[in-house]
Amino acid sequence: MKRYSTITLLLLLSALGWMGCRKDDPIDEDGLLITSRAECYVSNFELLGSDFQTVRTKNAVIDTVACTVNVTVFFGTDLKNLYPQFTLVTDAKLDPKITGFTDFSDLANPRTYTVISGNRKVRKTYKVIVAVQPR
Amino acid sequence: MNAKYLGYTLWFFLLCFSMAACKDDKYTVPVPKNELQNDCIKRTLGPNVAGLKIEFAYAIALPATRGKIVSAQVEASIAGDAATYLENKSYYTNGSGEDVGIPIGDPSVNEGPLTKVAFTKDTNAVTLRYYYVIPKAAQGKQVKFTFSAKSSNGETVSYVMGPYTISNMDMVLDLPVKNGDACYISIADMAVYNATDAATNAGKIDLVYLYRAISGISFNHALVSPAADTAYLPGVVLPAGVNRDTKIRKTWNLRDQHLARLQYGIYIDDVDFQQLDMKGAPDYAINLKSEAGAWIETADGKYRAYIYMNKVDDGKKSATISMKRYTLK
Repeated sequence: MKRYSTITLLLLLSALGWMGCRKDDPIDEDGLLITSRAECYVSNFELLGSDFQTVRTKNAVIDTVACTVNVTVFFGTDLKNLYPQFTLVTDAKLDPKITGFTDFSDLANPRTYTVISGNRKVRKTYKVIVAVQPR
Repeated sequence: MNAKYLGYTLWFFLLCFSMAACKDDKYTVPVPKNELQNDCIKRTLGPNVAGLKIEFAYAIALPATRGKIVSAQVEASIAGDAATYLENKSYYTNGSGEDVGIPIGDPSVNEGPLTKVAFTKDTNAVTLRYYYVIPKAAQGKQVKFTFSAKSSNGETVSYVMGPYTISNMDMVLDLPVKNGDACYISIADMAVYNATDAATNAGKIDLVYLYRAISGISFNHALVSPAADTAYLPGVVLPAGVNRDTKIRKTWNLRDQHLARLQYGIYIDDVDFQQLDMKGAPDYAINLKSEAGAWIETADGKYRAYIYMNKVDDGKKSATISMKRYTLK
């Protein structure tokens, strides 16, 4: 009986020791987990107006090879106050971060956003090309 | 044997403990105070805007042995509008859920800041509603109310409510606007003009309402600044001198309770206008739907406003709008 208790205790101690000594998971400068995923793309894109309603006339066309997002917005959209929303592949992150309404009024110089993969080794810069619905 | 005995004892204690925990507290009938008493609650919510009512429910009661209630009155620190009144009825809710009023005295009379009801029925307990119609003179000030009641044996009680801050906002409801007719909106006057009147008030016209059904795009009902790009004023010939550049920001899901009078408990208050940032806002808002709204800032920076679209009618090319306005300067 005594021998059995000692073995159990030793097992528990070794398990605790193993847990205590395990290396921490790596995190990046934003406190996000760095994983082994190398995928790096935009899977969906939304653009909201100042009233937080969509301004897209149809779904945005995302070209993951050319790294472009083509979006057509309604006639009369206030291009200076648009709220972009990106959906990215698992574990990826966006740079620069979206912090609020963004000015997309310079149609000749599309805004760019970089997608960074889960392992933080692959970076792809997407151009967001906005076009206004013609009258 | 010992372990078994210990187990039984433990179960017995647990059972006793659970029974003790479930015991109901003994109820005692509360003993009423042998005196005239009163209580009051404020029934209205949201900012206190001039022209609207603040409603209170004032309850008074005394034991039958101490006489009856002979009068009730409310004194406001700022006299309310003439329509201010204290109910002379006590209400109960019948089986159908309707409030049925029983008169207990003469209709109330206003004497300056005082509103009084003299009781004509033998009454020992009553709840009277008080409706204070906020006067324009109270805007930006604080108002306090002293409710009081008197019994036949000379006893008096009083209850102070407030102070309540009266908003600086102005409000106008249900202005009809019509494409090509009453379509010139003045924030300064909080009114809608036709082309002839707009020409005489040219310096006060901040917005043009228009409706256009243009194929391929969603234009529909729009509020456009007179100085906006002509692309947003298709076919509009502005009266001479109508040229102000008003900032407009389209909004959705902001159905202010005062303006919309719908089920949503949302109120726009002074602080919303004070903190509103209209930098970079456009000078037009198109495709406005029913229950949508728009924040406005006039070209001279004197006023900020919120215009709510109560109703839009594509067929008649018209809409009904309501407005809250805040004066900045």
